[in-house]
Amino acid sequence: MAACRVLLSLSSAGFTQNLQTFCYRSSTLASLTRSRITPALVQTRNYAEKKVYQRDKPHCNIGTIGHVDHGKTTLTAAITKVLSDKSLAELKRYEDIDKAPQEKARGITINLAHIEYNTENRHYGHTDCPGHADYVKNMIIGTSQMDGAILVVAATDGVMPQTREHLILSKQIGIEHIVVFINKLDAADEEMVELVEMEVRELMTEMGYDGDSVPVVKGSALAAIEGNNDKIGVKAIEELMEIVDKHIPTPLRDLDKPFLLPVESVYSIAGRGTVVSGRLERGMIKKGLECEFLGYGRKLKSTITGIEMFHQTLEEAQAGDQMGALVRGLKRDDVVKGMIMAKPGTMKAHDNVEGQVYVLKKDEGGKSRAFASYCQMQVFSKTWRCSAQIVVADKEMVMPGEDAKLSLHLLKPMVLEKGQRFTLRQGSITVGTGVFTNINKDLTEDERTAVQEGKKGREKKLKAQRN
Amino acid sequence: MATFWLARTSAVQGLKVWQRQDQQLLHICQSMSAVDKGQLAKLRKQTGFSISNCKNALEMHGNDFEKAESWLQKEALSQGWEKATKLANRKTAQGLVGIHIEGNIGAMVEVNCETDFVARNDKFKTLVSRIAKECVRCAPQTSHHGITKAVLSEEQLKNLVTSDGKTLGDLLALTIGTIGENMSLPRAVQIVGSPGLNLVGYSHPSAPEENLTTGKFGVILALKTPGVLSEIARQLCVHVIGMNPKTVGTLSDPKADNPDEETTFVHQEFLIDPTVTVGEVLQEENIEIVDFIRFESGEQLIVN
Repeated sequence: MAACRVLLSLSSAGFTQNLQTFCYRSSTLASLTRSRITPALVQTRNYAEKKVYQRDKPHCNIGTIGHVDHGKTTLTAAITKVLSDKSLAELKRYEDIDKAPQEKARGITINLAHIEYNTENRHYGHTDCPGHADYVKNMIIGTSQMDGAILVVAATDGVMPQTREHLILSKQIGIEHIVVFINKLDAADEEMVELVEMEVRELMTEMGYDGDSVPVVKGSALAAIEGNNDKIGVKAIEELMEIVDKHIPTPLRDLDKPFLLPVESVYSIAGRGTVVSGRLERGMIKKGLECEFLGYGRKLKSTITGIEMFHQTLEEAQAGDQMGALVRGLKRDDVVKGMIMAKPGTMKAHDNVEGQVYVLKKDEGGKSRAFASYCQMQVFSKTWRCSAQIVVADKEMVMPGEDAKLSLHLLKPMVLEKGQRFTLRQGSITVGTGVFTNINKDLTEDERTAVQEGKKGREKKLKAQRN
Repeated sequence: MATFWLARTSAVQGLKVWQRQDQQLLHICQSMSAVDKGQLAKLRKQTGFSISNCKNALEMHGNDFEKAESWLQKEALSQGWEKATKLANRKTAQGLVGIHIEGNIGAMVEVNCETDFVARNDKFKTLVSRIAKECVRCAPQTSHHGITKAVLSEEQLKNLVTSDGKTLGDLLALTIGTIGENMSLPRAVQIVGSPGLNLVGYSHPSAPEENLTTGKFGVILALKTPGVLSEIARQLCVHVIGMNPKTVGTLSDPKADNPDEETTFVHQEFLIDPTVTVGEVLQEENIEIVDFIRFESGEQLIVN
């Protein structure tokens, strides 16, 4: 519908005419920009006690990982306690965090506590999950992809057999930056603490992190909450957050990335040319920029000659804008929904990828039974969809409710990148959701024919080989 | 307090030097307490017990490594029981199913723990397969008519005497002590087949070509075949886990209206190749399914 309006406005009003008015109005625009830079009056509306989120600090998602009894939740509570004393956070008690209800995020049941707080420099979203499966689900659903994590180890116990499991997990869900917090200093003495530090560093090196230079903070979350022994309590938490501020880099904002627009629809306007529309996902688009269309095995070059939003032309569109772009020299049939318009050379199409997938249970809307390798499924991602052959990487089959590493062989190369999310469907059922984790070398011609022939063809071939 | 902190920082520096220059400066740190740090690290590495326990052991035995270690091993059981009692109220919703088959005797057990992190841990896996083995060892040796199944309760399991004279309860407590999570042993089943019957086990998740003995799901299939067991037997096990049939059934049994809701084994679509039914596969391979048992870790909890 919205796209229709774009079409109408483009054809009736005329692009250039709009553009001219736009130029005449540039003085108004200048004043508008000025008012944006120096707001005369910041309005804060209080909608029924809901606070308005003030976007004045960069945002960063972190989480705690560590063995159940090592004080993950206590540390989370301690952080909010220390920061709330500086009125940078709202105090959360241990019980509030521990009793986090089962959440249904995008239809998937997940146990997680999600808390927010500020430091002097940044705004944080903090995730605390009880189990491995919950962290994997959290990564796949992608509501709060962790940019870094705090690994909590108790000085009284040291590296427990599970701590290894936690580091494997953080590798799996793609956490690059880890800060170690050695907890329970109030109940341990120095030798123990030093030994624990050595053990943690050793383990981190073994797991492929830079164990020797990973920052380690020692303290007692309990002391911070109870407010006694400031040195290992409050001070340690402050030190921890300082290091988190420094060590975990702020993720790049979408606005600062090269532009990317997944095409939602394509129109042809008599006398003007072809218009593609969609939501600009990243970066900024200006008139006159060169662009590239990728997807379905094709690659087309063009130039953006006009931008329009809400029936009005504009000079520049920013990430988040639902917009239409007039592109030069392309026919309507050249561009298809699902292609990606991007800055030339920044994106690539692939057809041989790996993904980590959570397979929905029946009551989450998924299948009631397992699936095995070499079945055909539809992959949906951004605005495209494509058939793919699924190969289960490290087990015989995948049960509903499990997560799994899958190899996806797409029938045609599509634009995708590491960390991009997708959905798998079979017929009218959503089988699962996942995230692309690895991009392999593109399929050879033979491999592609094998994918197209499907399971039957593969079995025939296997039989022929046996005979 | 301040002196403590001063001492601490210097100790950290001492440690750094110690790491670099190996044993040379060890005595500096040593002089600060009764416990030798090198010994402590070594003891901890070899036994895997928590740091505080290792330290206690060394303190009690005046840094005598051997004595400390044997004391730790002796203490482990009672400490494990202590911990087990302390944690007894915690919910155990995760876990593994273990399978062991020796000839015509098989056993499948379920062991639960608190988090799925532990369920992935090697120590826990070893415990589960050990318990399955002990169950096979204790099973009656022969069955005269067809197949005998014996279900063991939690009580029976915990009192089962292992090959080295302890009970399974002791074994569990030991692991609770080292891993630090509550664990339970809700059920087990022993299967004894008469001669001529084949028992095939499979646990999920396992990779193709791999035969793991523990997993989130487990199945033991009892079948008869005139030929040798082929890959198909394993695929049938995979099918039972994936498609969850309720009964074996015969080809003359009525079929369900919707093939997706079929619970009779022989009428289900074969998971590995959905174009044929299990019945067709069985006929082609000349296999007769006598019985099957399927365990899903934590399924009883859902029922309750």
